[in-house]
Amino acid sequence: MSILNNAVGKKGLKLCAGLLASALLVTGCGGGGGSKGADKENWISIEDRYTVDAETPAWQLDKKEEVTDLTWYVNADWWNTDFGKDIVTKKIKEDLNINIKFITGDDTKLNTFFAGGDMPDLLTIFDSNSPVVQKASTWALPLNDLAEKYDPYFNKVAAQDTLNWFQLADGKTYGYPNYSNTQADYDSGNIPAKTAFIIRKDVYEALGKPSMGTQEEFRKVLSQIRTEFPAMIPFGFNSIGEGSGSLGDVFQDFLGVPLENEDGSFYNRNLDEDYLSWVKTLNGAYRDGNISDDSFADDGTAFEEKVKSGKYATMLLDGTPQQGGNLQIFLSANPGKEYIAIDGPQSTAGHEPLLNQSGITGWMISYITQDCKDPAKAMQVFTYLLSEEGQKLMNYGIEGETYKTNADGTVELLPEVKDLQLNNAEKFKKEYRMGEFMFFGHDRHKALSQDAFPEAIKQMQEWGKGKLKPHFILENINPNQGTPEARGLTAINTKWNTTLVSMVRAKDDTAFDSTLADYKSFLEDNSWDKITLIRTDKMKQNKEKLGIE
Amino acid sequence: MNRKVVKQDLDSRIFDALNVSLLFIFTVIIVVPLWNVIISSFSSGRALAEGGFIFWSKEFSLENYRAVFQDQSIWQSFFISVSKTFIGVVTHVFFCAMVGYGLSKRYIRGRKLYVALGVITMFFSGGMIPTYLLIKSLGLLNSFWVYIIPALFSYYDVVILMNFFRNVPDSLEESAKIDGAGDWRVFLKIFIPLSMPAMATIAMFNGVGQWNDFMTTKLYITDQALYPLQMKLYEIIVQSQTQSMQNVGGSAVIETTTKGVQLATIVITTLPIVAMYPVLQRYFISGMMMGAVKE
Repeated sequence: MSILNNAVGKKGLKLCAGLLASALLVTGCGGGGGSKGADKENWISIEDRYTVDAETPAWQLDKKEEVTDLTWYVNADWWNTDFGKDIVTKKIKEDLNINIKFITGDDTKLNTFFAGGDMPDLLTIFDSNSPVVQKASTWALPLNDLAEKYDPYFNKVAAQDTLNWFQLADGKTYGYPNYSNTQADYDSGNIPAKTAFIIRKDVYEALGKPSMGTQEEFRKVLSQIRTEFPAMIPFGFNSIGEGSGSLGDVFQDFLGVPLENEDGSFYNRNLDEDYLSWVKTLNGAYRDGNISDDSFADDGTAFEEKVKSGKYATMLLDGTPQQGGNLQIFLSANPGKEYIAIDGPQSTAGHEPLLNQSGITGWMISYITQDCKDPAKAMQVFTYLLSEEGQKLMNYGIEGETYKTNADGTVELLPEVKDLQLNNAEKFKKEYRMGEFMFFGHDRHKALSQDAFPEAIKQMQEWGKGKLKPHFILENINPNQGTPEARGLTAINTKWNTTLVSMVRAKDDTAFDSTLADYKSFLEDNSWDKITLIRTDKMKQNKEKLGIE
Repeated sequence: MNRKVVKQDLDSRIFDALNVSLLFIFTVIIVVPLWNVIISSFSSGRALAEGGFIFWSKEFSLENYRAVFQDQSIWQSFFISVSKTFIGVVTHVFFCAMVGYGLSKRYIRGRKLYVALGVITMFFSGGMIPTYLLIKSLGLLNSFWVYIIPALFSYYDVVILMNFFRNVPDSLEESAKIDGAGDWRVFLKIFIPLSMPAMATIAMFNGVGQWNDFMTTKLYITDQALYPLQMKLYEIIVQSQTQSMQNVGGSAVIETTTKGVQLATIVITTLPIVAMYPVLQRYFISGMMMGAVKE
């Protein structure tokens, strides 16, 4: 019996080895077709279609008769995959003579694309710090070369700062983001703040418009709110989830904690004295019973529902445009009780707020892949959407049909469109889809119209004027993924989030201090020194890219 | 003696009382959240946002269901779900039964090797990317058959069926063969009817799995026409989540909340499976028992 078993075992082993060998052979062959973009095999000729002209966008020149079919992968399940049915995409379809098939998915699907080797023509992802972006040169086509060969007009509509920012080591730029704000955008004053300390107007007035700037005032007012409005939660903040809600860097920005040390090295803003003294104040407010335990457990949906029903008396709110719909719902149902921005907590060291907005990295980033069937057409899509015309189309639709331009250059939606937007969101979304097809959307075009933001947040944006300060130097400064420092940082970030929550919820001062001390020693144990060095180094590179002294 | 009886009675009465009350609490723990999900799914967005009800909704509304069903393609997805579940279950059970039948015969040559190879697959799998590559080379991407063919075979189920078939006396097969029945006839007319409990159990497991599965779609399907119900509803949920974010212009009238849509979705997807349960339950229990005993 055992002889038989042995024989079977050996046979099995041989069989397995054989299978393994053939599997290796097959996968080895499959991997061969990698770098086709480099030798420009698929760089189609446009000779019989048009001659490039630096002064005219190529989509106006292209004589290609048949419709170009492009597949466009968006790494987000929520992306609306319709194309050509609503006003915005119908116009794109007609102007460019294209048909786009959208595919959506998550990181899993993205990985299968890379592994399977059958890439879509265009690809949009969200994390500019991911390895996919770092290795773009192996799978995407460089925008510089594409522009030169197919559409030089691209360089007129793309922001040079943004292109520089995304340059890889080979000196080329492969992807272009949306909501990328350059220094010039900040300087223009056209980008609105998205952070505010807000209070319900009725509460604010009932209490006699108290100041909440100092730590004593802050605690006192919260207690007053609790006695006079017992049904409300005195103080709220963005849902924490796996991050720090709005109590971490957002609060630091609000208090004007410096971005770097004086010598330009990385500054650990979490340990800033001024900021920590405010965390202690929050702890005091918690012990007074003025911060609800639910706030630490609520997810995004639960938080939004509280905003919608006006449950919080005051809020440190990050992302006012994202909450705009909810704030508007509360305002419409409760006129006169709407949330308004006030100065709120102030730095004890006399700093001014340094509010953050979308940085130069932006949000989604789009690529033309090496498998693209018609890179000339794809490039035209980029140029079209980035141009003034495309931007206005995405945000406001078609002039005369959905919006009109006023004498001062601002844009106004036509009354019936506006009415639909306010009263029948579903139909508006389906038929117009404005402000939603935002692959290359930018804040500067939103600033053109009064209609771009809901009424409920305009006062908050007004309050934030002059308080924005670019955080460019702090963008993408984390250690590269896969390094021990990156793992250390992940652990530290998680630790910081729990530390922050534990500090706010500390039972007494001793517990507060020991939690903080624990965090400090955790830093030391997880190669914080090295992380700081890497960050300082990357901050220096950022400054070089952007020409900041 | 009399006292003893009374004492026993008291004992068992206490036991019964305790038992009943514990089971009652247990049932309540299960039923109340379920009931809450159902009535919440029939609540208006406003009532849901305010919250604070457990047994009866403050404001009855069908808006959540309307939000889910307004997308006409949901019926197409329903059709895909039903057909993939039906075809998938029938072919899976039949295929596994055939293999299990074969492997249950001691006289099969190389049986030990097959069993050993099968066991290896129970512990190791290729992983996501190699599987994707395989599916791709088989030409199953964006094809309805990706729901059926890869799900045809499960070694776990084969083991259960194999053990079940082994319990059928050899003499039964012998006498059938003496009467002139071939292998197919023995398999179809004797073994399958005798193993209905095991078949029903596997059909149930597999059916629930097929019905709930959306990873297959996520990985291998990009054609919306092939989306099953689960995937379609998943899409509706994520879209309702981001609606407020995208509608930056801000609409004042929103009848539904994300939570409401989620709850309606839960009810819609669970209902068909729950309805199937009582039908298969009687087989299910004995099937579990038989599978549990191994020779």
